Amino acid sequence: MVKKFFSEIKMNNQVISLEEIKKSYFIKDNEFSVLKGINFDIKKGEFVALMGPSGSGKSTLLNIIGALDKPTSGNYHIQNKLVSDLSSDQLADIRNQYIGFIFQNFNLISTLSSLENVALPSFYTGQQNYNRAKELLTMVGLGDKFNNKPNELSGGQRQRVAIARSLINNPEFILADEPTGNLDSITGKEIMDLVLSLNKKYGKTILMVTHDSNLAKLTHRIIYLKDGRITNKKSV
Amino acid sequence: MNSAYFLLKLFKLSWDSLKANIFRSFLTTLGIMIGTTTIIIVVALGEGAKRDIEAQYSNMSVTTILINAPSTAGEPSKLSVNDIPLVKTISTVADAVPMLTAKVNVSTSDNTTNFSVVGTYPDFAKVANLSLVSGEFFTQSDEDNHTKVAILGATVAEELFGTRDPKVIGETVILGKKEFEIIGIAKYKGGAFGPITIDESVFTPYSSSYRYVLGKNGKFSFNVNATDVNVLAQTMDSLTTILRESHNLGPGAPDDFRLRDMGATVASAQSSSQTMALLLGSVGFIVLLVGGIGIMNIMYVTVSERTKEIGIRKAIGAKDSHILTQFLFEAFILTLVGFTIGAVIAFGIYYLLLSMGLKIIFVWWSVPLSLVITFTVGMFFGYSPAKKAASLDPIDALRYE
Repeated sequence: MVKKFFSEIKMNNQVISLEEIKKSYFIKDNEFSVLKGINFDIKKGEFVALMGPSGSGKSTLLNIIGALDKPTSGNYHIQNKLVSDLSSDQLADIRNQYIGFIFQNFNLISTLSSLENVALPSFYTGQQNYNRAKELLTMVGLGDKFNNKPNELSGGQRQRVAIARSLINNPEFILADEPTGNLDSITGKEIMDLVLSLNKKYGKTILMVTHDSNLAKLTHRIIYLKDGRITNKKSV
Repeated sequence: MNSAYFLLKLFKLSWDSLKANIFRSFLTTLGIMIGTTTIIIVVALGEGAKRDIEAQYSNMSVTTILINAPSTAGEPSKLSVNDIPLVKTISTVADAVPMLTAKVNVSTSDNTTNFSVVGTYPDFAKVANLSLVSGEFFTQSDEDNHTKVAILGATVAEELFGTRDPKVIGETVILGKKEFEIIGIAKYKGGAFGPITIDESVFTPYSSSYRYVLGKNGKFSFNVNATDVNVLAQTMDSLTTILRESHNLGPGAPDDFRLRDMGATVASAQSSSQTMALLLGSVGFIVLLVGGIGIMNIMYVTVSERTKEIGIRKAIGAKDSHILTQFLFEAFILTLVGFTIGAVIAFGIYYLLLSMGLKIIFVWWSVPLSLVITFTVGMFFGYSPAKKAASLDPIDALRYE
């Protein structure tokens, strides 16, 4: 208990803390090691880019950071909370209250209006917060699209809805998986500006996966992943 | 977190997604609907049949043995009213009354109807537990003197005089061609007594009915009561012996009479009606089972169609139990709606059959019974697709297109 207390004090400024994260898959008794010991921290208010070629273990790492998957070994803390040991129900709560997801393909529910989509995470917290959902939609520039279904919106507008959704429960950090990957360059830039403003204007901690080094340069620092290891940390 | 409120929200979520696909939801629940209807109607039909049998035999006691001549060709039966004194000598026989009966024209100066005339002994009133609304039953002296007196059954009185309690004692009724004096009106009784329906009969002394109205056209039978149900078999043996002796039947000659033990007849009629109800009931159950499989099928389709949605919900914080509850609610709603519509249809059919004069009686417990079966089936078959939805891996589900 005492030991845990001190370790919490040690990391209280770090939103994300990964210690020796390893992940292996077993296929017919053969072990495939995808992550071979990942260590890094992300501090409150940081905007970090995660880059790496396909096959580097990027998706696996993203799933672990997103509390969608558990590491084979190693410790993962969000704020002071040890996440790598939690049950699947507890992980659901972590995803719900600590993490805001922005996906490449938006992942909105097609049968729900933009307002309902934005309010959805708060539904699973216990109370749909439509007022905050309206504020957030207005903030991302969709004050007139509350009742539109995703298929009535353009790609950029859909991503704005997704961004508003990621903020509804006021999460500790935002996990953005190639947020501009499915958008044309002009719209992509608008979305990137919005993501940047979340960091600059609202102080949100963001981890963004991207293939685009021009976008990565706009962040505070880049983490490169290759063959399941972090090869180089570059500060901009 | 207010969990009741949250459940309500989940319920609404399920409701909305069923409403979005209303026609499919309707088709999904069709089996449940038909199953519910079947069970309620079958129980009502079964109850109708049961009451019908009860009414038919309500005036018979389990100690009753009915003796009649078999209606087969060959030697005419020697069964006659002369057997009665012999039968009465058996120690285990409590009473024995003859019944000579046939349908004849029963008329007054104003009306002509067709009813059974029953010639019997004065004991009949006691044996059949008959009570009168007016007048009195005939006596032994009427029997001895072939008096032309008649007691009208309730329905006969109603048909002839427009009421079950007409003030017509002393008036005349024409049975066949002979005038009889009305000396009593029987109280409405319902049901049958052996071969006759009491309310639809005119009772006269045996001797007068034979001499003036029925003669050889009457069907003869008699009604014997044993002193106790335990001596029934013994009484039937004694009856056979005495009747064979009285009819001079040599060894090997077939009986020229038939004994029917009413207790056994009632029991067999009841058991055949129960078998029928059970048979129809299992049809209803099978329909419900098929309906349940229908729900399972469509729900599996729904789950795979909505894999992506389930993935998104899980990614943003839905627990397995939330997804499970959401889909169980869908099964629940489908079952509830199917049950409700099915029950409403059942009542429609019930009143339709009732108006067609079918013997059908609504039984209140058929509704909770079908409710319990329907929900057991619905939730049983709804559970496995719901479980599948709940246990989807959010990573795979998100990747699903």
